[in-house]
Amino acid sequence: MRYLLLVLLSLNLFAVDASLKIEKDVEHRSRIALEDASPSANEQFFKILLSDLKISGHFLADTKHHRGELNSNFIAPALKSKEYVLRYVLTQSSGTKLIIRLLKASDGKELFKKSYAIPTTSKAPFLAHKAISDINNVLKYPSISWINRYVVFSRYTSAKQSEIILADYTFNYKKVIIRGGLNLFPKWADPKQKSLYYTSYAGMLPTLYRLNIYSGSKKKITSSEGMLVCSDVSSNGSKILVTMAPEGQADIYEMSSSGGSKRRITTFNGIDVNGKYIDNESRIVFVSNRLGYANIFKKSISGSGVSQVVYHGRNNNAVDAHGSKIVYSSRESQNSFGNNTFNLYLTSSTGSGTRPLTASGTNQFPRFSTDGSILQYIKHSGNGSSIGYTNLNSKQSLLFPLGVRKIQSLDW
Amino acid sequence: MIKKVILTTASLSFLLLTGCGQTAPDLGGSSNNISDASALSGDTVSINENAYGNESGGRGNSSSDGFQSVYFDFGDYGISSGMENAVSRNVNVAGNAGRKIKIEGNCDEFGTDEYNYALGLKRAKAVKDSMSSQGIDTSKMVMVSFGESNPVCTDSTDSCYGKNRRVDLRLAK
Repeated sequence: MRYLLLVLLSLNLFAVDASLKIEKDVEHRSRIALEDASPSANEQFFKILLSDLKISGHFLADTKHHRGELNSNFIAPALKSKEYVLRYVLTQSSGTKLIIRLLKASDGKELFKKSYAIPTTSKAPFLAHKAISDINNVLKYPSISWINRYVVFSRYTSAKQSEIILADYTFNYKKVIIRGGLNLFPKWADPKQKSLYYTSYAGMLPTLYRLNIYSGSKKKITSSEGMLVCSDVSSNGSKILVTMAPEGQADIYEMSSSGGSKRRITTFNGIDVNGKYIDNESRIVFVSNRLGYANIFKKSISGSGVSQVVYHGRNNNAVDAHGSKIVYSSRESQNSFGNNTFNLYLTSSTGSGTRPLTASGTNQFPRFSTDGSILQYIKHSGNGSSIGYTNLNSKQSLLFPLGVRKIQSLDW
Repeated sequence: MIKKVILTTASLSFLLLTGCGQTAPDLGGSSNNISDASALSGDTVSINENAYGNESGGRGNSSSDGFQSVYFDFGDYGISSGMENAVSRNVNVAGNAGRKIKIEGNCDEFGTDEYNYALGLKRAKAVKDSMSSQGIDTSKMVMVSFGESNPVCTDSTDSCYGKNRRVDLRLAK
């Protein structure tokens, strides 16, 4: 009996709380099936839900479009092998309404129920994202709130003409918010995506504005001869990194978000662009041709020393950063007159742990999600252009056809 | 007494252990959270920049006002010997100009993002510096890079891409 007591007490010491295990073990993916209880099945909405589940990295979703009854707790025998069943009703008669019920597959017990309603039909993809984000939270997985965010991008429409467009991350929702003339390099100005920066070519010189996308109010930040781009915004929105050329030389500057003060960070007599904050905003990474070709470098905001970050490739001309994580695009073919292979690589601010993220096609415009767990990029291949996402933890990837003209820049 | 303690501990341990094998945790029973998703309802604006006037639009996509475009090699921003005559002719036109001269840098479609705009600017600066060295007052010239946004040719041919790697000059409005 004493031994039994000893064994049982020892086992207790190593017992793990089930909910705690789920929080930590993102390797465990929940098997889930979707049951569409809408009056008429909507294949597009089903696919958006599936995409959300997949890119989260937390679910193994049944890809069959099942039909079901919203209020029934009966689970079909074929779905008993799942852990969860998500039943939903989507109606789009006046606006969009979505009701979801999350059931435990083993006994049909309701774990969560919620309804969503918005006055428009065009934003239905956002309801799918919100619902999956909520279910993810209910099951205590790490947040995937980035799927609820707007993507903003600019695209060329003709020579010296472009549009700036809002989209959901799948590009199923799209809305032009700035049209007319040449307006480039949109960049979110605040964490809640209420305002964005963009460069207007309406005047003699490129001019940076901040636009409130809800009120339409617009504030001029600064203008510069040559070029002007807002490359990054500090986490609290108070400072921005811009590439500008007040003396005809493209360099990186840090400015207050009001445009009131500026500090020159790089001083090279060549090309220094694409500054991104790293290491708690004490340093930047940037693209420079100071070695004769485009490559990735870093320096502190206040110091003068510059160090090379990437020792791979001969043309690394775009970079993004999150914390100490860095992603860059590298041209891996030498075709001067045609499509080149550009692949994306993940590395760190110390240059260690470099690994490829793509293997084929032209992969450009890498952008981290707000939590740094997902990478967004544009892929051009023989099948056309797509917007791609890679979950850096689960390594799952998704591609959505773009169906739009040439993208100039994007932010997420 | 000891047996009682042992039995109680054993029973509690058994109950705790059986809880650990659960993969789909009970999340506290039925809930009925209703949300109107109001955060998604806010409508965003749609603005037309043409209402603010537009310097860049409608001005054509090549040199004008008697100036000649200057062309560059792939990825390069140095003025080749073959283009020196074009720059000299532009110096003559600029010398007689009564207004500021706008020098527009352009690139082919193969660059990306900011780097291409900086490359266009370096090309514009090469032309500006060359014209300055030939006597044109720098305050009379203003540079703007259009990156890859202003192609004169959209075919997928070598000669077409070459026409897009250029600097255009025109009189400022």
